[in-house]
Amino acid sequence: MNTILEVRDLGISFGSNQVLKSVSFDLYENEILGVIGPNGAGKTVMLNILSGILKPGKGSVSFMGRDILPMSIVERTRLGFGRTFQIPRSFENMTAYENGLIGSVYGTGATERAASLKVPAILEMIGLSDRKGVFAGKLGLIDRKRLEIGVALASNPKLLLLDEVAGGLTESEVSDILGIVRGIKEAGVSVIWIEHVLQTMLEGTDRVMLLAEGRDVVCGPPEAVMSSKEVETAYLGA
Amino acid sequence: MNGIFSKGPAGMAGPAWHARRIAPIAVLAVLVSLAFWGSDYLLSIMILIMCYMAIGQMWNLLGGYAGLVSLGQQSFIGLGGYTLAKITQVYHLPVILAFVLAAVISVLFALLISIPVFKMKGVYFTIGTWIVAECLALFFSTWSFSNYAQGYTITATYAFSTAQIYLVALAVGVGALIVVMAVLRSRLGLALMAMRDNAAASEVRGVEQYRTKLKCFLISAAVTGIAGAALYLNQAFIQPANAFGISWTVSMVFIAIIGGMGTVEGPIIGAVIFVLLRQALYNFPGISMMLLGLIAIAIIMIAPRGIMGIIRRKTQFEIFPVRRHPSA
Amino acid sequence: MDILLQSIVTGVLLGGLYAIIGVGMSMIFGIMRLTNIAHGDIMILSSFLTMFFMQHVIGNPVAALLLTIAVMLVFGFCIQHFLINNVISKGDEPALLVTFGLSIIVSNGLFLIFGPAARGVPTELIRTNLINANGISVSSMYALNFVVAVAVIIALSLIMGRTSLGRGIRAASSDTLMSELLGVNTKRMYVYAMLLTVTTASIAGMLVGMTFTFYPTTGTQYLIIAFGCVVIGGMGSLVGTLLGGVILGLAQLVGASFLGSAYQQLIGFLVLLVILAVRPQGLLSKAVRK
Repeated sequence: MNTILEVRDLGISFGSNQVLKSVSFDLYENEILGVIGPNGAGKTVMLNILSGILKPGKGSVSFMGRDILPMSIVERTRLGFGRTFQIPRSFENMTAYENGLIGSVYGTGATERAASLKVPAILEMIGLSDRKGVFAGKLGLIDRKRLEIGVALASNPKLLLLDEVAGGLTESEVSDILGIVRGIKEAGVSVIWIEHVLQTMLEGTDRVMLLAEGRDVVCGPPEAVMSSKEVETAYLGA
Repeated sequence: MNGIFSKGPAGMAGPAWHARRIAPIAVLAVLVSLAFWGSDYLLSIMILIMCYMAIGQMWNLLGGYAGLVSLGQQSFIGLGGYTLAKITQVYHLPVILAFVLAAVISVLFALLISIPVFKMKGVYFTIGTWIVAECLALFFSTWSFSNYAQGYTITATYAFSTAQIYLVALAVGVGALIVVMAVLRSRLGLALMAMRDNAAASEVRGVEQYRTKLKCFLISAAVTGIAGAALYLNQAFIQPANAFGISWTVSMVFIAIIGGMGTVEGPIIGAVIFVLLRQALYNFPGISMMLLGLIAIAIIMIAPRGIMGIIRRKTQFEIFPVRRHPSA
Repeated sequence: MDILLQSIVTGVLLGGLYAIIGVGMSMIFGIMRLTNIAHGDIMILSSFLTMFFMQHVIGNPVAALLLTIAVMLVFGFCIQHFLINNVISKGDEPALLVTFGLSIIVSNGLFLIFGPAARGVPTELIRTNLINANGISVSSMYALNFVVAVAVIIALSLIMGRTSLGRGIRAASSDTLMSELLGVNTKRMYVYAMLLTVTTASIAGMLVGMTFTFYPTTGTQYLIIAFGCVVIGGMGSLVGTLLGGVILGLAQLVGASFLGSAYQQLIGFLVLLVILAVRPQGLLSKAVRK
């Protein structure tokens, strides 16, 4: 298995608050890595560092052999980073179709004409083709989460960062999302998936990493990690 | 490939679609024919409407679309005007060259000042651009090359009839409109739409903020410079204090606010109101500006999207659509 | 050498005048995050009022100033209560553009009433020197400007720091939501801040009117100067504004002593542009701008 992303000793502080102390892990090609951990473990902060929104205090991140830390948010997007947010950041005054166009045109450098051919297929894949012309702000939560995945996919990512896409959804909606993410993996995309709901992680991922108190505590097959003592300690306290 | 004005929403056919395709051509034909039957008074008003519409469009491109509220657009009006004066009055070269150079010089100057002013955000950018214009006014009044504070009388104007100047202004006005539509319908326009909606998210999706804004800044500098040359071709007399005066940008801001910021139709409506009101109160220039100021404040407080916003709230009315629709 | 020394002395004193022009703008920015584009015109409006009162109502400059302040308080209340307070919560742009509109209304109104001619507030001080020795002269007017500026800034700092009014205004500025929960009426505090601002602007207007000639359109010049003091000194800092004014005054006069007085204003503006580009948060402020 080839490593696509190599994270070493990542750390960041806000003032005196050391949110990430030291996080190291590898992500393999075509793998879904689940990241779990209690609130405040630093999961979203880690994603923000990976996508370039935050600059880490220490550590290194290399993507397909290239040091990406000096790169801007836009450069990382062009390089193949796709991302969703816990609270969807769609373009609310633009239609679902236009949201997809942005992802395709600016994520891949495609012409608008080329993008206009690709976007309908993506909307189809995420199950939004009947709501192409609806303003994103008018979509329900599940549809906005789908749309976020779609916009990220439109940029042809090699690596997709998912931030709590299943949070706040009903069971059947979660299984919809699970289906979409599996489809993405089959298309050859690697995924880092942050989630609070452990059950989703058990079903949806190839490996799971536990993040607690700013460190990567344990990493391995989903069942093994979920039943480990470390997860129990992290979630329920010692 | 459809033309800029003609691309209707998908599936739209029949009379509405044809109207959308034919109406602009018909309006343009009437406007051109005006040069042959319009009275000099009507033409002189139309010259102002066209020029002010052009500079209003360009301010709106920055303030209404790119989030760059500039109070320094008069820099480019002045540069355009002085280019015209210098080229025709001093070097006795053709007027058309002045128009080309007005655009080139404006873009180069915009590129130069983008280095400091693009480091400034929000209101700092607003005042920073204004200070640049004030510097130009001060510098041109001490510069021998621009004939100090005396400026120039632009005698080249006298060779033109009102109808000819009107045709120039019409080209500038329609040209500005085409440029704005081309921008908004291009990749750049897509980025502007996303940036205006959610700047942080647009960056994550790959929209380069700096470059997108800079492109708009340069485009609006070029067209404003050309419009400046047209305005001074009409005015025939240039001095630093009025060429680089804030009142140019005052008019652009009022035109965009009254007509509707962030709409293509807004500056057209705004320019008509602005010029007609000023003309109606020609002998009381102070009163017309006060009135425009009051209208602008009232609009910001009651209807932030201007007259066009009020129209849109009631109807789906839109002459220049810039939205995207899937083709199938 | 004497010329340089003279420039430094005059520059510092001129800086005092700049600071009192800027201090009101700084307050408004610090408290309601608003860049008041009408600030320069509001000040020139008070220059015209003081001139008018001295010529037609009462000769005594202090009495004329008090009358001006009274009128300006009503004016300040109206623009804050009826205009700015209604748009301040709608984001930066609407409020900024409202003050821009206000600036145009005031300057054109002055033009309509008083015409385009150059005006001045009559005073003997501008013709007398306080000190005239060793080739260095200090104009009485410039000295008065500086003393009044320092006094006003100290007074304003005391009001803001030591009185319950100042605490209320500061509470309204630091956390709008929190202070409203605590029962501070933010909008009312904004009105108080505007009243303090127009008071300082009235004093500044009289001093400017005595020191220089002015026109209905002069306001924009002083807006840029006020903005300069505020930016150099760090937005919202009262003492910083004084230092900002002095730096701007020094830059202008020392620069002019090398390049000629025709360039005095241009140098000031260029210095300001450089500072804006390099240190937009101000020379003295550590705070990160938004």
